[in-house]
Amino acid sequence: MRKFKIIFRPDNLTVEAEEGKTVLDAAVSAGIDINSSCGGEGTCGKCKVRVLKGAPDILTSGLISPRERKNKVFPACLTVIRGDLEIEVPENSRAAFDAFTAEEPSGIMPETKEGEFKRSPLFASPKGSVFNFGFSFDIGTTTVAGQLTDLNTGKILGTKISGNRQAAFGSDIITRIVYAEKPGGLKKLNRAVLESMGRIIESLAEENKIPLKEIHGILCSGNTTMIHLLLKIDPAWIRRQPQLSVPSFPTLTAKKAGIKINPAGILKCIPGVSGYIGGDTVSGVLAAGFYREEPLCMLIDIGTNGEIVLGSREYLAACAASAGPAFEGSGLSCGMRAVSGAIQKVEIDSKTFKSAYLTVSGDPARGICGSGYIDLLSEMLQRGIIDKNGKISAEGKHIRSTDNGKEFIVVSGEETRAGQDIVVSETDIENLKRSKGAVYSACAVLARHLSLDLSAVSRIFISGGFGSRLDIEKAVRIGLLPDLPREKFIFLGNSSLSGCRKILLSQDALKEAFSIASRITYFDLASDPGYMEEYGRALFFPHTDLDKFPTVKF
Amino acid sequence: MALSGLDIYKLLPKTNCRQCGLATCLAFAMQLARKSLPIEKCPFISAESRRILEEQALPPIRPVNIGYGDKQFEIGNETVIFRHEEKFRNPAAIGFIIEDSLNDEAIKKRLEEIEEMRFTRVGQELNLNLIGLRQNKDGERFLKALETVTSSTGMPLMLMSGDLSVLEKAAQACRQRNPLLYAAKEDNYAAAGAIAKKLNLPLVVMAQDLEKLSRISGELEKEGIKQIVLDTGAKPPAEKIWDLTQIRRQALKKKNRALGFPALAIAENEDPFREALEAGDYLAKYAGIILVKNLRKEEALSILTLRQNLYTDPQKPLQVEPKIYSVGKTDTSSPVLITTNFSLSYYTVLGEVEGSKIPAHILSVDTQGMSVLTAWAAEKFNAETISRALNENRLKELSDGKNIIIPGYVAMISGELQERSGFKITVGPKEASGIPAFLKNLMRVP
Repeated sequence: MRKFKIIFRPDNLTVEAEEGKTVLDAAVSAGIDINSSCGGEGTCGKCKVRVLKGAPDILTSGLISPRERKNKVFPACLTVIRGDLEIEVPENSRAAFDAFTAEEPSGIMPETKEGEFKRSPLFASPKGSVFNFGFSFDIGTTTVAGQLTDLNTGKILGTKISGNRQAAFGSDIITRIVYAEKPGGLKKLNRAVLESMGRIIESLAEENKIPLKEIHGILCSGNTTMIHLLLKIDPAWIRRQPQLSVPSFPTLTAKKAGIKINPAGILKCIPGVSGYIGGDTVSGVLAAGFYREEPLCMLIDIGTNGEIVLGSREYLAACAASAGPAFEGSGLSCGMRAVSGAIQKVEIDSKTFKSAYLTVSGDPARGICGSGYIDLLSEMLQRGIIDKNGKISAEGKHIRSTDNGKEFIVVSGEETRAGQDIVVSETDIENLKRSKGAVYSACAVLARHLSLDLSAVSRIFISGGFGSRLDIEKAVRIGLLPDLPREKFIFLGNSSLSGCRKILLSQDALKEAFSIASRITYFDLASDPGYMEEYGRALFFPHTDLDKFPTVKF
Repeated sequence: MALSGLDIYKLLPKTNCRQCGLATCLAFAMQLARKSLPIEKCPFISAESRRILEEQALPPIRPVNIGYGDKQFEIGNETVIFRHEEKFRNPAAIGFIIEDSLNDEAIKKRLEEIEEMRFTRVGQELNLNLIGLRQNKDGERFLKALETVTSSTGMPLMLMSGDLSVLEKAAQACRQRNPLLYAAKEDNYAAAGAIAKKLNLPLVVMAQDLEKLSRISGELEKEGIKQIVLDTGAKPPAEKIWDLTQIRRQALKKKNRALGFPALAIAENEDPFREALEAGDYLAKYAGIILVKNLRKEEALSILTLRQNLYTDPQKPLQVEPKIYSVGKTDTSSPVLITTNFSLSYYTVLGEVEGSKIPAHILSVDTQGMSVLTAWAAEKFNAETISRALNENRLKELSDGKNIIIPGYVAMISGELQERSGFKITVGPKEASGIPAFLKNLMRVP
């Protein structure tokens, strides 16, 4: 096999690559993080690069416009190496997996009742060692959150949230499972998540001046697929028949798992319920606490794979909705996680359609995170910029037409870091509409399964990675959350991580987690013939049935 | 109202012991509510709960079987008032009344005409189910006419005679055919019931008002007669619809077991058009058997089509015929877009292709009505099924094979599909909304 030299600009990195590989492959081996939400399948068009020198083969695709073809701008995954190349990777095509979220989600956790769980940390320090630290991790499809805790005192020493580096291999669970089936795929995915965790561990240990050998254990909660990939177990059986029913996971030493803490330290995972209801849901239920109370409550975890749990101490029922990563800021033309420069709050002037916005850390705007999109949709509906179907129906200088439909300009290029406009396109809105429709219809179908009316729910706990805050009012207005009295909603922030910490600190809580996992009844929406109908009806802002949203008026 | 899964759950031990084979008691309760598992699967259920559940398990509207052999049909067993709540289960039987006053030749001719009223529609056979022979003359004529009918047709029968001794003789004569007896009335129901019980045949109970009707059917049920059909006699359509609706509501909402039987309605009008209209009303509003007299073949088609539509399961996805559709003035260089035969997928793709103004073929692959990703996950939209569809539809003759496009969501199968089918496969956009720009870009490549 012939090998060629590929030079990446402006990094000035050079790698050797085999003939027939793609530029995306070469970029990955050069350590350049390129956006690729489809996992290199040539469908998302996010990995565009410019060919400065050389003549690669370009695979056929209608994603490339004649103008791009003329300017030699191609998706890296469709650019096949046939000789030496010089490639420019523009800022917009780069992923920022490792950037830490600047602010912690400001969710309100229900007060931990005194003596709720007796303190008995899961991990003990070996004899002779005084210090004992542990990590709790929430491993999400899009984001990874880690928290360092002093196991002797129970004190939280710090929390960090970063992107999951696996996102380079596809943005949703199914794409990851498919990628894991490729030769070497599972290994790459495993290494990617370990890297993301490692960076959080090192960074928090360093900030707190703690040597890694004093960290004796890591407890992970995550969706079932993520835990498979973390433990390097083939996830194919999550998708295929017979689907596994109760995934409880082996415990590994840190050394065996490939994590840099005390080599004799332990990596443990919280048990899940099914292929699509994982330990993250179990720990979320534990954190929210309604599993032992009388009133009927609901937990809505809005992530790439959304989970909904409905119940009380009497029973617990759950379903999973493939919401996609839109509310985590992925898969949208200007979407990003809630890291510095992400627009998280927006108001639109009713006359000029000019947007006033706040970004994370107050930095120049780079993109829009989940909470920003919820604000934007609600504002655009309110101002009549989009109709109830999500099509841009207004005109003005903030609206323009492109080959792929219209888009709304939130921030013009002069104000942004990369000098490019930050926009919301009709395709983005379509994407967000489907995400919110999936979440809402899953809530509705789950309640209907139990012959309950949503209004019978007395409290609704919301968790998810929207950014630092979620405007419940606006989330209801766009039809993401059911239209119920607002005081019923409690935003928990990352409930999976909170539950994980409780378990890290108490053997009793771990027992409780096992008991919760065995009590949750899983309903498979895919096999429910009524789900598609319910979903179709939710593909409207706020809903096709306005009686379901009596307080929402535009 | 049937008990919901949650109601049933409250009657279970809630131990999540898994002896029933399911993960939790709630999951088992949901299966019980759906009647897909027997109560016996739970070894720990209390006697009291068991009694409640068994009572609950009886269908609110009993099934009734009429006829024999392959023409036998079942009516009743309905569980909902509105079709969209779940579905209507047993299609109403539609039959013709034949008078015994016709001579034997005329009866034979009429039967031939009725047998002719059969149609094939979207792959299903539509036909009539029942012959109601009505007595107008003496008993001897009735029995003779019955002989003519039984020797000319195998269709299920309803024997309509006001004279119980004639009815019994007729029933005896064609007992093996499991005919429906018409009818037990206020003044003779005990005797009529005795005949039905002795011969083990289904029986119509007739009374003008619902109270009398339910009293008679209740008494007969106590006698052990379970195969009952209800009739409130000839009335103007508005009143008849009201009766039929009340019977259904009483059975389902009030659990009135005496009215928990299928109902019968006769639409009889000299004007076949009016008669069809009445029959349509009764079809929509709950009749389990509809008898007509003067419909011609063309009205019969409307009525049978209406029945087919009412009794399809609204929860099954709508499908389009899996085949190649050509949009615009296509030639062999036109692109071929592949999608599923879920009608929503197909029509969305169609709309975008039309909008693009670029002539193209759309190949809809048989995925049993599943959408792209669902079908892919269920292995119904993969390299194997798509390449088979490409072959079966003779794509090689239709297209030069340069631009065969699969949905972006199944990009992962492009390699395997290329190998299996021998065609060059292009990965298209994930969303149908991306099709116009995609096609324009694609067709502009030199």
